[in-house]
Amino acid sequence: MFKKFSSEEVSAQNQVKASVQRKIRQSIAEEYPGLEPVLDDLLPKKSPLIVAKCPNHLNLVLVNNVPLFFNIRDGPYMPTLRLLHQYPDVMKKLQVDRGAIRFVLSGANIMCPGLTSPGGALDDKVEAETPVAIMAEGKQHALAIGFTKMSAKDIRTVNKGIGVDNMHYLNDGLWKMERLD
Amino acid sequence: MAEKPQPVRVLYCGVCGLPAEYCEFGPDFEKCKPWLIQNTPDLYPDLLKEAGAKDADKVSDQLQSASISGGSSKPKEEEVKRLPGGKIKKKEKQEVVIEKMTRNKRKCITTVKGLELFGVKLSDASKKLGKKFATGASVTKGPTEKEQIDVQGDIFYDIVEFITDTWPDVPESAIFFIEDGKKVPAV
Repeated sequence: MFKKFSSEEVSAQNQVKASVQRKIRQSIAEEYPGLEPVLDDLLPKKSPLIVAKCPNHLNLVLVNNVPLFFNIRDGPYMPTLRLLHQYPDVMKKLQVDRGAIRFVLSGANIMCPGLTSPGGALDDKVEAETPVAIMAEGKQHALAIGFTKMSAKDIRTVNKGIGVDNMHYLNDGLWKMERLD
Repeated sequence: MAEKPQPVRVLYCGVCGLPAEYCEFGPDFEKCKPWLIQNTPDLYPDLLKEAGAKDADKVSDQLQSASISGGSSKPKEEEVKRLPGGKIKKKEKQEVVIEKMTRNKRKCITTVKGLELFGVKLSDASKKLGKKFATGASVTKGPTEKEQIDVQGDIFYDIVEFITDTWPDVPESAIFFIEDGKKVPAV
């Protein structure tokens, strides 16, 4: 999704109303309970929260010009990889095997066989249509953020086709955009 | 809020910006190697062996980077920036192209392309141009997603002087006019 993405894509940046801010905070806290204790550090109440609108109904949540979260339409907020690397345990994790890394890092969606093979790992609690962190065999850090298309059980039984949509991966446009001015 | 999860510090590669463990899948692993050897020797044990086999001294780091890039890929290829997907990006010619577009018989717009190649901030430049010529000047997206500056009015007569004065980095020889569809050097 962010394969070709740069600051030029941002069509409007707005400092949002306090009520919207509260809504964003709330939905982030709901989605990632693990983040709640640090949410005050991440989204300080005092510094303004800015929402940048981008094509394809994409919103970026910025604090101090640093993109922290993104969402699509009214979908769930997902952290950027840089943020996820700092707090890796807030998201459910799926692990792909080593062979898949190369393709994921060039933007491919995550296919079921890569998750079910010996190098992969599945968290059985993962439902369909939830944001997940994509980890890799033998690596500590997440390499992508995905949005599941099927539940973990289905991935296991079907074992074919796209299991997780690749939203944001290392070295894509959003990764390279450390700051947005 | 008794226990706050501490942010994890991730080691990012100094060369490609990825977390160090993903360098091997990054755009240019060869270039990252010397950095990795110096900063995270334990992450890629194979690299150290490689280095040890080739040379035992400390200087080997630099030697190695040179020998690797010299050995596995031609030195010329190294300078070429690679686009994702393995395509090789052509190096862009550094030149400023000035074009006049007629609008409404007497009125026209002068567009300045390519200033950003000289490290000029376009928004600053458009402001300066607007001030100097007392007209509207704006940064717009031209064809093929390139940004350019549109200045209202015909400012052909002294734009060259103005550009070379305000940004000394831009040589006069790099400025071109487009006249009747042909590129003409300004000088």
